[in-house]
Amino acid sequence: MGRITLDKVTKSFGEVQVIPPLDLTIDDGEFVVFVGPSGCGKSTLLRLIAGLEDITSGQIRIDREDATHVPPAKRGLAMVFQSYALYPHMSVRKNIAFPLKMAKMDAAERDKRVDYAASVLNLTDYLDRRPGQLSGGQRQRVAIGRAIVREPAAFLFDEPLSNLDAALRVNMRLEISELHNTLKTTMVYVTHDQVEAMTMADKIVVLHAGRIEQVGSPLELYHTPRNTFVAGFIGSPKMNLIEGPEAAKHAAHTIGIRPEHLDTSAEAGTWEGRVGVSEHLGSDTFFHVHDTGLAETLTVRASGEVALRHGDRIFLTPQMDKLHRFDAEGLRIA
Amino acid sequence: MATQHSRAAARFMISPSVLLLLGWMLIPLGMTIYFSLLRYNLLMPGEHPFVGWENYSYFLSDPAFKIALVNTLLLVGGVLIITVIGGVLLGLLLDQVMWGQGIVRILVIAPFFVMPTVSALVWKNMFMNPVNGLFAYLAKFLGLQPIDFLAQAPLMSIIGIVSWQWLPFATLILLTAMQSLDQEQLEAAEMDGAGPFSRFFYIVVPHLSRAVTVVILIQTIFLLSVFAEILVTTNGGPGNASTNLTYLVYAESLLRFDVGTGSAGGVVAIVLANIVAIFLMRMIGKNLDA
Repeated sequence: MGRITLDKVTKSFGEVQVIPPLDLTIDDGEFVVFVGPSGCGKSTLLRLIAGLEDITSGQIRIDREDATHVPPAKRGLAMVFQSYALYPHMSVRKNIAFPLKMAKMDAAERDKRVDYAASVLNLTDYLDRRPGQLSGGQRQRVAIGRAIVREPAAFLFDEPLSNLDAALRVNMRLEISELHNTLKTTMVYVTHDQVEAMTMADKIVVLHAGRIEQVGSPLELYHTPRNTFVAGFIGSPKMNLIEGPEAAKHAAHTIGIRPEHLDTSAEAGTWEGRVGVSEHLGSDTFFHVHDTGLAETLTVRASGEVALRHGDRIFLTPQMDKLHRFDAEGLRIA
Repeated sequence: MATQHSRAAARFMISPSVLLLLGWMLIPLGMTIYFSLLRYNLLMPGEHPFVGWENYSYFLSDPAFKIALVNTLLLVGGVLIITVIGGVLLGLLLDQVMWGQGIVRILVIAPFFVMPTVSALVWKNMFMNPVNGLFAYLAKFLGLQPIDFLAQAPLMSIIGIVSWQWLPFATLILLTAMQSLDQEQLEAAEMDGAGPFSRFFYIVVPHLSRAVTVVILIQTIFLLSVFAEILVTTNGGPGNASTNLTYLVYAESLLRFDVGTGSAGGVVAIVLANIVAIFLMRMIGKNLDA
């Protein structure tokens, strides 16, 4: 079981309150991703759950038991750190076995569990090496192995992929998702990368300045962002947010339209503009449109290759059913 | 390209300093070896006949030699044990965040800047003196008989004084090593269920092994030649109780004016120091490999 409940949790460093009162429930077996810009308190929140930081007020419950003052080791959670935090003087086998050794498990059982974890993570051939002799992805797997053997109630990942190169990151993303499907254990994952969040999560928690902006499934956040912050943060490229008279026409303070929901035409449309920089990705083309009479530069996503050059004239039309409307506080108008 | 040429030029240009250093080392060494083979006593002017190994056999068969050898090893070993263990503990203490951290750290380093003769004199006269010393006052305050440290436990007293001087060095090196330990490793160990002692022995101590090796190697070099502390406090006595090899060589050549035997003792000391160095490198040198 791994149900984690945060009840009016706050955290202050001295005078500064980094987490204002916050409620959150993480259900058993869920893959929850905390996402937000750097400095939004997502890592702090994870460390509060882990017990590496003490909460200032409120309560943390793990499986309905009050864990607020339980030391980290007794919470039954395992953590994978950004720097992997492997023990450099121990072999891979000893690294993975370390938590079991600390739990005073007997050697035979220990070896069995380490061998199992190594086979799950394709580390069997590397068990006698030191962490210094492994590649980044292998180190990452050792760190995950060290977490698995404890059979924790939940895994906590603190930006585990940020030290890997782009190709490896995509692989490890799949491996971690696969692992979640195999183990069916609760996982809490912190990242600043919204692509990781969208692809891996059952539930995304968007954080901003210590506050939860929205909780929901990836598609919920994509289709119905609760406010302009979530609207701008989720989705790549960013949603176009337009203020002023154009928004007033739709009885809103701000309107948002995603780049993929703008239709292009050479003859007629709502907004006329000039094409700026185009980014060709092969499957898609992103281009930036200037001089539409709006204050903002619009980003447009067209699928496939588009024969538009810098300086060409273009007409854009938003798909009206995909238009998001926000009020003066930035909240969504239903 | 021009590497071959520039390498030759570089060798040519550093040759004067290399030759100077070589001469600096080889001439005194050669003279010491040469004198060690002569009967050369400053109290007996005249001929300095060649006597072969006589000085060596005289020095090595001197009962004081064996005592000095044992004393040297005890001194080096004792100071190493005290400074390494004390240095780790002090390092752990100083690694904590506290008020006045900077000043406390400077105070801890301070003994290292005191000259050996001065610190030995301070210890001898202000702490260990059986009449006026601080320890004597303390003993009298508690109603105990004051101990005359330098007469009753001369070698231990000198080990204490030298340890006091070298503890800051060990603390400094070990503290910096501790500060370079990745905090996430300690947090990971905490999550893995390691208590404070397990964290110390499984994570901190292995991390310190390289720094400890450096401390041991550097200190051994200097501790083999401890001299000022002995000269100022006990003069090697009572008897030979606190004479180490360095002091024995001094006594032979400058107290007995026997240049030949003194030189022979010097050569023996060089050989012994090298034996110790080889053993040390064998034992702990592998820690220095990356």
